Amino acid sequence: MAVVTQDTGRELRRIVRTNEEIKSVVATAFKINLMAMNAIFLAKRAGQTALGFGVLSNELRRFATDLQKQMAQLREMTYGSVTTVTALVKQARVNRVLERARKESTGMGRSLIDEFMRTRHGVSIARHREQIAALNRRLNQMIADTAQLVELGSVLARSAKIEAAYGGPFSAALMQVSSDFERTIGDIQHSLENLTKQQDD
Amino acid sequence: MKTARVIFEDGNHKWIALVRDPSRPDYLIDTNEYLVIDNDDAILLDPGGNEIFPAVFSALSTEFDPRKIRQIFASHQDPDIISSLSLWLEFNPALKCHISWLWASFIPHFGGNKETFVAIPDAGMDIHVGNQRLQAIPAHYLHSSGNFHLYDPKAKILFSGDVGAALLPPGEDGLFVEDFERHMRHAEGFHRRWMGSEKAKRDWCSRASQLDIQMMCPQHGAIYRGEQVRRFIDWFAQLEVGVIR
Repeated sequence: MAVVTQDTGRELRRIVRTNEEIKSVVATAFKINLMAMNAIFLAKRAGQTALGFGVLSNELRRFATDLQKQMAQLREMTYGSVTTVTALVKQARVNRVLERARKESTGMGRSLIDEFMRTRHGVSIARHREQIAALNRRLNQMIADTAQLVELGSVLARSAKIEAAYGGPFSAALMQVSSDFERTIGDIQHSLENLTKQQDD
Repeated sequence: MKTARVIFEDGNHKWIALVRDPSRPDYLIDTNEYLVIDNDDAILLDPGGNEIFPAVFSALSTEFDPRKIRQIFASHQDPDIISSLSLWLEFNPALKCHISWLWASFIPHFGGNKETFVAIPDAGMDIHVGNQRLQAIPAHYLHSSGNFHLYDPKAKILFSGDVGAALLPPGEDGLFVEDFERHMRHAEGFHRRWMGSEKAKRDWCSRASQLDIQMMCPQHGAIYRGEQVRRFIDWFAQLEVGVIR
């Protein structure tokens, strides 16, 4: 019984950490979106010399939007985990009280609780555990998919840096913007690594 | 574990009081639960809080099969009254819980679903247990704003929730009131503070006076019998309530 409580407590703490990490990625993705919009305007001002940079900025903006959508799904999934873990916590609490009732009972009372815990309760806890495991598998898959998406963002940021070099008089400004992209996407990669590590733990 | 005491029995009609758990931690208020059995049917009155479920369940199952409890009556919404609801529902998900309409959407926070609750209208209603008809008697504002007592015309017993309650010190916690004057010392402060309305008190006294009550069973403290019931109603009628001291 205590093991179930510890498990669920750990699971809840993990969900809280995951959610905090997701919040941080969502905030960063929003920042990238704004940065990409600024980059698009800058490329327009730079004109012909920054055509390639403009295309990449558009792609980075699309990337930021995709990332936000992906993170929204991740967040929804963690909410689902909270519901399941909460049910498990509740079940564990009920079990704890029933275990006390079993100890205090004799005869009919004790056999009733024994029978009850063997059937409905055992099944219920096992079902919740399976649900949590399935949710975790989906969460891992989604983190891996997001990591791939962010890898694409990283490539785009590096390409933008190369394009910035051809920006003529705007080169320094474009270089600054593309470096910001690179650093920000690096932050996201770091958050995703944390998420993966938490899942592995 | 609590003790199951049969306080009334006439053929297949029975009242069992579930009382006094010596292992109860002192930070939990002591409560009395009652089971009314008629033939093979039963209703549990104010089943108590989560923490005391083991004590109530174990005592009750020495006398009756808990799976056969078809109904619960909750005098009001307090946690020491009904927070164990979800645990009872584990044993019988079809259990019906009778409670004031005022609390019918609050109590599901303790457990149950739309099918679980039977909302008692302000004027009260009949509740059938086996072949018997029990009456939910209004006791609003005593102390809860949606509050009912339960009267059994066959046994002539009134389950009076917090009315008549006493916080008994160790050594003076017998099941029945023996020395009325002495007992009321442990009831006075409780009634002054918890019963919030003079008008509601007068209404209740008038209603209770019209019932033929042989036993008055509160949720805390000792049971009043015979003439003590009339004495209690008179005492309560005179008591100033809704005051700090």
